[in-house]
Amino acid sequence: MNAIEIRNVKKSFQGKRNQKTVEAVKGISLSVKPGEIFGFLGPNGAGKTTSLRMLTTLLPIDEGEAKIGEYDVKRNPREVRKHIGYVGQLGGADIEATGRENLMLSGRLYGIAKKAAQKQSELLMDLLDLRDIIDRLVKTYSGGQRRRLEIALGILHKPDVLFLDEPTTGLDPQNRANLWEHIRRLKSAGMTVFLTTHYLEEADELCDRLCIMDKGIIVAEGTPQILKREISGDVVSIKPKNNQGDLAYMFDDEEDVLDIRIEGGKTSLYVKDGAIAMPKIFNVLKGRGVELESVSLSQPSLDDVFLKQTGKSLRDTGMEASL
Amino acid sequence: MRILLEIWLLFKRKMLETIRQPVWVFMALTTPLLYISLFSPLLKNLSNPPLSTGKVLDAFVPGVLTLLAFIGGTGAGYGVIGELQTGVIERLRVSPVSRFSLLMGTILRDIVAFLVPSVLVIFIAHLFGFKAHAGGLLVMLVLLSLLTAIVSAWSGSLGLILKQASSMAALVAGLELPLTLLSGVLLPISLGPKWLQAIAHINPLYYVVEASRVLGTGTIGDTEVFKAFAVIVPLVIVTLFWATRVYRKAIS
Repeated sequence: MNAIEIRNVKKSFQGKRNQKTVEAVKGISLSVKPGEIFGFLGPNGAGKTTSLRMLTTLLPIDEGEAKIGEYDVKRNPREVRKHIGYVGQLGGADIEATGRENLMLSGRLYGIAKKAAQKQSELLMDLLDLRDIIDRLVKTYSGGQRRRLEIALGILHKPDVLFLDEPTTGLDPQNRANLWEHIRRLKSAGMTVFLTTHYLEEADELCDRLCIMDKGIIVAEGTPQILKREISGDVVSIKPKNNQGDLAYMFDDEEDVLDIRIEGGKTSLYVKDGAIAMPKIFNVLKGRGVELESVSLSQPSLDDVFLKQTGKSLRDTGMEASL
Repeated sequence: MRILLEIWLLFKRKMLETIRQPVWVFMALTTPLLYISLFSPLLKNLSNPPLSTGKVLDAFVPGVLTLLAFIGGTGAGYGVIGELQTGVIERLRVSPVSRFSLLMGTILRDIVAFLVPSVLVIFIAHLFGFKAHAGGLLVMLVLLSLLTAIVSAWSGSLGLILKQASSMAALVAGLELPLTLLSGVLLPISLGPKWLQAIAHINPLYYVVEASRVLGTGTIGDTEVFKAFAVIVPLVIVTLFWATRVYRKAIS
């Protein structure tokens, strides 16, 4: 049985006054296997959080079916709640209480006996490096510490599936890498993790499988490796010395060059095989008298996948959203 | 029973949060005493010859207690808004905790936070000549606790609906003033003209105040007392029913 099973799930929001209805999620289907780290990658407004909120019983599902394990989200939300953990973007730790009080209250509210909740708290303190700060008020925690406590709160009752909504947003790179390590530990303990992110590196580093979501639909699904392989081949990025303008036309006749993207003075050539294409590209450039400042050969990134599927770069949309 | 355990756990948490705020504790205990010490002397010379301090307190203490009960519930919404912003409510909503327990935890905290200063007020007023009738006071505190429960449930629900402290503050202030003015909390409404008394009759708080005055004299089996419970008990039931619904549905 799958840990999560979604069939054609839809959600729309009624617009205010005369604004028209917004279709936030336009029919998504997917399944997540037990023990997987599964990610939803997409820009802000893609429908990631809305999907997650439907799966966690926070939002009613308009249409379609969703199951967590054997429990139907629509028909049996109470049972679903017992079997999932959830860490929202806001976190949810009670900042006026200590870490230990937070853990104990959460455990007791999930129906765990006092002794067992204490024991489980102790385990989590070690698993998530909370021991030194556990008796301090949460409002004195740093961002990373608080996030770790919140994840502990999410898994205290040993859920089958843990949902994380943008778990590393607002954390610095060091804390982010640290949190990834902790999430991997959960996986090795057998937990299924479902997360949303708009960080490419996070999806790439952390997820076993992922969906790329844009404008309410899933545009691609697979392991990061397979998704990147679909782009086929390599990326040769060249930066000419002087601003030469659009170089794309020069490669019109080159069969090895499959696609070209230009981003801020850098031209990215998508080729089947970098080792073979590079000399040809140099020849073309030499023939046109173009001098290069730099050149690099790389594997396609998830951003390239996103670019191919949606026609825009995730980095760009991310920038727009944060402005 | 599970639900009782949940309510107890959530009440304990809210209570702990409250007593950790020294400013709150200080204000909660001093405000009623300020009413007694600074406002009640004004009443002394209203009649000729002037009333004794004990007589003034007999008339005034039930009103102050009603005011405390009312105001004690109004703060719940701000707590809810704070918890919305830190995600506490969202986290609890994903847990199997009953929505009714979430509501009751705060209500019970507000009731306790009303009762403690009230007992202090009664005690101090008693030292200055206030005639305390144990039975009447007990029934009065029960009635007033129900009032706190209603206001607390309303405040919490409005916090969930409005989601913003600024709009919450405006609404609370906007409701609090007419409700208290039209209840005769500070001065008996019977001092006012007929039209004022007529409007007061649609204000539930008015019946509570009238009953409190009667209960303050030690009379329990009075029509005013029956009337107040007849107004308040159904209101408690309807409010809790509605508020639980709000807790179940709100927050998108």
